[in-house]
Amino acid sequence: MAQMRPDTALITVRGAARDYGRDVPALIHADLDLHAGQICALLGPSGSGKSTLLRAIAGLERLDGGQIQCGESLWSAPGIHVPPEARQVGLVFQDYALFPHMTALDNVAFGLTGPDKNQRALDELTRAELGDKARAYPHELSGGEQQRVALARALAPKPDIVLLDEPFSGLDRRLRADVRRRTLSVLRASGAAVLFVTHDAEEALETADTLALMQAGQIIQSGPPQHVWFNPVSADAARLVGDINVLPARVDAQTVDMVLGRFNAAGLDDQSAVDVLIRPEGLGVREGDRFLVIDRAYAGASVRLTVEDETGHLWHAMAAHTDAPELRSRVDLELDTRFMRIVPRR
Amino acid sequence: MTLIASLAAGLCAAPILAVAWLALTQTSGDYLVHLAQTRLPLYAWTSLKVGVFAALGAGLIGTGLGWIIARMEFPGRSVLSWALVLPLAVPAYVAAYAWLDLSHVAGPLKAWSFGLFPTVRGSWGAGAMFALVLYPYVYLLARNAFSGQSADMFDAARTLGAGPWTAFRRTALPLARPSIAAGMALVVMEALADYGTVSHLGAPTLSIGLMRAWSGAGSLVDAARLALVLVTVSMIVFGLERAQRARARSIQASGKHRPPVRTRMTGLRGWALTGLALLPPVLGLVIPMARMGWRALYELPAPGLVDGTWHSLVLATSAALIAAALGLGAAYALRAGNPFGVLASRAAGLGYAVPGAVAAVGVMVLLSGIQNLIDPAWRQLTGEVFPILLTSTAFALILAYLSRFAAAAISPAETALARVTPSLDGAARTLGASPSKRFWRVHWPLIAPGALSAMLLVFVEVLKELPATMILRPFNFDTLAVIAHNFASDERLGEAALPALLIIVTALLPMIVAARYLSSRDLEG
Repeated sequence: MAQMRPDTALITVRGAARDYGRDVPALIHADLDLHAGQICALLGPSGSGKSTLLRAIAGLERLDGGQIQCGESLWSAPGIHVPPEARQVGLVFQDYALFPHMTALDNVAFGLTGPDKNQRALDELTRAELGDKARAYPHELSGGEQQRVALARALAPKPDIVLLDEPFSGLDRRLRADVRRRTLSVLRASGAAVLFVTHDAEEALETADTLALMQAGQIIQSGPPQHVWFNPVSADAARLVGDINVLPARVDAQTVDMVLGRFNAAGLDDQSAVDVLIRPEGLGVREGDRFLVIDRAYAGASVRLTVEDETGHLWHAMAAHTDAPELRSRVDLELDTRFMRIVPRR
Repeated sequence: MTLIASLAAGLCAAPILAVAWLALTQTSGDYLVHLAQTRLPLYAWTSLKVGVFAALGAGLIGTGLGWIIARMEFPGRSVLSWALVLPLAVPAYVAAYAWLDLSHVAGPLKAWSFGLFPTVRGSWGAGAMFALVLYPYVYLLARNAFSGQSADMFDAARTLGAGPWTAFRRTALPLARPSIAAGMALVVMEALADYGTVSHLGAPTLSIGLMRAWSGAGSLVDAARLALVLVTVSMIVFGLERAQRARARSIQASGKHRPPVRTRMTGLRGWALTGLALLPPVLGLVIPMARMGWRALYELPAPGLVDGTWHSLVLATSAALIAAALGLGAAYALRAGNPFGVLASRAAGLGYAVPGAVAAVGVMVLLSGIQNLIDPAWRQLTGEVFPILLTSTAFALILAYLSRFAAAAISPAETALARVTPSLDGAARTLGASPSKRFWRVHWPLIAPGALSAMLLVFVEVLKELPATMILRPFNFDTLAVIAHNFASDERLGEAALPALLIIVTALLPMIVAARYLSSRDLEG
C-alpha cells in the first residue's frame, strides 16, 4: 500500500459495477479518484449511472464488481460493504431530503452527537446565514434556504468527503448562479473531497477542478475541465461538454482528407475509421461559395450559424454579431485547428 | 347530488339524534342507576382494556407488515401485498370461536404445548382477536405512508450516521405515525362496536351492557343512554382519527421526490420475511377457517341455514348497492363544494363512529316514534291497530346498516373521484363532450373501481354485522351471523361452525377484489 501523500487520492474507485438486474446495468465499469480539497464534477446524461456511482460511494448501493477504497480501508467490493453510517460521508440530495417533521436546527443536529450538538448545529446554520430560521420547518423555507439547510446538515459532522447529487437542479435559474457560488466557497473552505453530479455542462466546466464524464455506466474521460473540453477522447465525450461538429472520416497514408482540408493523422491506424471533431468556436466564416447558410441563431454577442456543404453535411460555426452573413447567403469556413481533434471512431 | 348527500347525512345522523333525544329527555328506570352503581365502571374499564390491546396488537402487526411490504422485496411480496388485507373477511367473533376452541382446557393447543399456550379469553383475548382480523386497517395506511416517503430522507439519515433501525425510528416512523394512529383508531372503533367476540370471550364491554339493557331489562331508554355513552367514546376516537389523518397529510414530503426503492432480500433472509409476513394472515384467516371447517365436518348442517344464507346475501347486497350510490352522491356533493352538500357529506362520514348496536337502538327509537305518531290517526281511520310495519321488516335493518356503513362508502368514492381532476373535466368540455358523455367516458371509468371496491367492503361489513342485526331482525328472520352467534352462545360450537365458515367463504371473494384494488392504489399514485 502506498503511503498517503498529498497527491494521493482520498477515494479511489476502480472498475465499479452495479447491476440492478434490469436489461441495462446501471454501472458497468467506473474509475474515479477524489482528492482532498478538490471539487470533482461528474457530468453525464440522465440514466448514465452518475447517481448510482455517487450512491455507491456513499454506501447506499452495493457493488457487484470492482471496488471503492477510502485511504487504506476497503469500503465496497463484491461481498464487502461498509454501511453508510460508518463511512461518514456528507451527502446532499437532489430533493434535499430534509426531514419534514424536524426543524432546520434538528435537521442539522441529526448527524451530531454530544451535549453541545444543538449549539454546533446552530453555528453551522449561522454560517449558512440561516441562524434566524433555526426553528422553521422545511416546508416554511424557500427552495434556496432548503438547499442551504441540506448543505449545512451534510457538513455539520465535518465529513472528509462530500457528495452532492444535482444540488442546484431544483432551483430556478436566477437563484442558481448565486447559490452555486456560495455553495462552492463553503465546500472549498471545508477542505473535503467533493464530488458533485450534474447534467449541466456549463455548471461542470465553471466550477470543477476535475471533470469526469460518464456515459452508459462508464467514466469515458476525466481531467481538468479545460483539458477535457479541448481534448475529447471521442465524439460522445466531446458532446457531453459542449457543441461539436463531428465528421466521420478514414485515415489514408497518415492523413485525413475532408471538405475543410487535409490534416495530419499520425499515430492513427491506416485505413481506420475516425471522427474529426471541431468545436463551433473553431469555425469562422469568410467570403466564399462552398457553404450555404441555412440557419442563424443569436447566442449573446455572437451568432451561431448552421451551414451546409456540397454533400449535404451540416456544420455549426460562430460569427461575430457585427459581420454575420445573411440567411441563404454563400460563405466559406475558416478553421482554427486548435479546436480540432481527430479521434478513433468508437 | 346535494339531495343524495343530505339523504345520506340524514340516514347517518337520525339514529344518533334519536338516541340522544331519548336518552336526554326521558326519565329512566332504576336499571341505569343500578347499572351505574354496579357494572358501568366494569364495562368502561373492560372497553378500555380491549381497545388498548386491540390497538397495540393491530398497530404492531400492521406497522411491521406495512414497512416490509413498502420497503422490502422478497418472494411472494406482490401477492402478499393484497393477501394481507384478507383477514378483514373474517368476523372477529369467528376468530374467537376458533381460537377459544383451539386453546381451551381440552383443546389441541393446550395438549400440544403441555398446557403452556394461554386460553384465548377475556380482555386480552378479545384484543388479540381484533388485532388478528383488523390489523389490515393499520397495514394499509402504514404501507401507503411508508411507500409515499422520500427514499432520500431515509438514506440521508444513513449517511448522517444512523443505522437502519435508528433511521427507521427517527425518520420513517415519526412521519408515518399519524397514519398508523388513524388506523389504530379505526381498530378501536370496530372493537367498541363489536358484540359477538366480547360476549363469546367474556369481556363485558359497553356494547355488552347495551345489549343487556335492551334484551335483558328491555328498556329502550336505558339502552339509549348506554348507547349515548358508547357513541360519545367512539366519536372521541373518531375525532382523533380525523385529526391524525389531517396531520398525516400536512407532514407528507411535498414536491417531487424519489420514491423508495425496495431493498431486495434474497435467499434465507427473503424466505424468512415471507414466513414472517404470512404469519398474521395465517393466524387471522387460515386457522379460523381451518378450525371452523374441521368442526363443521363432524356436524349435520343446522336447519334454516339455507334461509339464513339467503337473508345474509339479500341484506348485504341491497345495503351495499344503496351505500355505494349514497357514497358516490356524497362524493360529488363534496366535489361541487356546495356548503350544504359538504356539511351533509361530512355528517354522513360520522357514521363510521356509530356502533351497530347504537345504530339499531336509534332506528328503533326513530321508527317506533313514527309508529306512535301514525297509530292514533290510523286507529281513527280504520278502527284497528297500525300494523307493526316499520320495525318488523328488513327495512329497519337496512336503515341501520346504512347509518353505520354509508360512511364507509363515502371516503373511497371521494378518493376515486379525486382522480378526475378539474383539468380532465376541462379537457373533455373543450373537446365538446356533453355532460352524459363526460360522465360515462371520463368519470365512470376512473371512479368505477373505487366505487365497486367501496360496495364490496360494505357487503362484507354487513355480512359480518351482528349486534344491529340481532336487535332489529324481524321475528324468525335469521342471518348467518345470528345463527352462528346463537349456536356459539349455547356452547354448540359444532353447529356454529358451518354458518361461521359460510360467512368467511362468502366474504372472501369480494374481499379479494377489494383488497387488490386497495393495494394497487398506492402503486399508481
